[in-house]
Amino acid sequence: MKHLSIKLWSIISISLVMIIISCIFGFLFIHGYEGISYEFFIKEPNGMPLGSEGGVYNAIIGSICFTGIATIFSFVFALSIATYLVFYEKNEKIKSFIRFIIGIIAGVPSIVLGLFGYSFLVVYLKIGISILTGGIVLGIMIFPFMEIRFEKTLLEVDINLIYASLSMGVNRTYTFFKIILPICYKDMIRATCLSASFAMGATAPILLTGAVYYADIPNSIFSPAMALPLHLYLLISEGISLKNAYATALVLIVLLLLINSIPTVLDMIGGNKIVRFIKRRKS
Amino acid sequence: MLDLLSVENLSVRFHDQKVLRNINASFKKNKITAIIGPSGCGKSTLLKTLNTLLMEDHEANIEGKILFDNENIDKIEKEKIRQKIGMVFQNPVPFPLSIYKNMEYALKYYGVKKDERKMIIEEKLKVTGLYEEVKDSLNKSALKLSGGQQQRLCIARALSIEPEILLLDEPCSSLDVKNTKNIEHMLLALKDQYTIIIVTHNLFQASRIADETLFMLDGEVIEFDLTENIFNHPKEQRTKEYVMGIYG
Repeated sequence: MKHLSIKLWSIISISLVMIIISCIFGFLFIHGYEGISYEFFIKEPNGMPLGSEGGVYNAIIGSICFTGIATIFSFVFALSIATYLVFYEKNEKIKSFIRFIIGIIAGVPSIVLGLFGYSFLVVYLKIGISILTGGIVLGIMIFPFMEIRFEKTLLEVDINLIYASLSMGVNRTYTFFKIILPICYKDMIRATCLSASFAMGATAPILLTGAVYYADIPNSIFSPAMALPLHLYLLISEGISLKNAYATALVLIVLLLLINSIPTVLDMIGGNKIVRFIKRRKS
Repeated sequence: MLDLLSVENLSVRFHDQKVLRNINASFKKNKITAIIGPSGCGKSTLLKTLNTLLMEDHEANIEGKILFDNENIDKIEKEKIRQKIGMVFQNPVPFPLSIYKNMEYALKYYGVKKDERKMIIEEKLKVTGLYEEVKDSLNKSALKLSGGQQQRLCIARALSIEPEILLLDEPCSSLDVKNTKNIEHMLLALKDQYTIIIVTHNLFQASRIADETLFMLDGEVIEFDLTENIFNHPKEQRTKEYVMGIYG
């Protein structure tokens, strides 16, 4: 009886979540579908007020740039810190202190991060409002999520495999690249994609640091850019075009869906095969 | 007979718990030494201490001296020691790679050339009696081998870098009689080239293959003598009770 009720509970929860998600997608699709056309993807925003006509090309490119920089920035730190905590640091006190700091970063509201980025990176370091600044702030925002997932993945590696490798006199670095990373890379890609989509949807951190009302396609990391979520916000809040707003939201959701489906696609076409292929080419 | 490895006043603590107490022992070259004793008496810890793997455990506190070829291992790089003192674990731990790549793993690390690698791999697989069974499927995942085959692969892998000493931590505990027999035969054949120290729960196994046997209880060495003496004429009452199965 208990078993049955738990099963029922799970089924109801899963169905509810699926229904809600389908509703959101369905709603956006029905309203946004009209606004979607080939031109919408490849044209820059136009019209008076700006955005009432044209497309979201600049915002798509801008969002991809912000997300790319944030992901690279965060990945480098998350991987190195997770590796350090799991395989190198022996002192439990230092470990818990570092984890405490990471927890604090995760708890900082995104608008505060944005304000910090503005006052420190834009004003004090004089980098200016740019993709780099926005990307870094977004990177700080997603870093704790990435780091915690990386750490969890690394902790799941069977310690005996590591011991077996070390017991042959092999050093930790070789063990890390040859045994641990090949075991973990799929989960790491998954965590990275999840964090990247989190970054792509965020507005507050880039509001003051990198994203602007209108900008051309960025020609360097030091130029400001448009971003989909901010563009969407402006379309609605300024009452510019509801049709374009729905279409923009749909584009954003589809982009997020694409990012999140990367690991699944890699799994399906055999991520291992690709890695093996690259390795063979190298050797 | 030359003592290749010896331990002087070795103690190991985990926080307040003493796991090894003042161990003194010498392991002779080209002999098989069995370490026997009830569960939790510190056999595996002793083995891990011998090839410095216990140093990876942050909570372990190690005191005393371990001499390899009359040199204190504290003064030698950990990696060098582990290269000389190979270890095989209780449960087989093949890497999630192909059989060939498992064997190639450490050889590549030490920069052995491709042709030489192939020769060594073939030789070591033959030594462990695995070659005939897997020669047509060397690219198969090592995880698909049976338990006994996996363990023999792990032994072959440990031998691939030519250690002088081979430590085995209850290598047969998860294997059936036939596989256990295979491994015992193999160890007897390997004795001429390697010094073998084996932890075992199986007293018959110790009496079948070991030249010398060390009996441990509660982290202490109770008796260390020729296997025949340990099993037939133990000096200590506790040893007698253990080998007769009264105790432990």
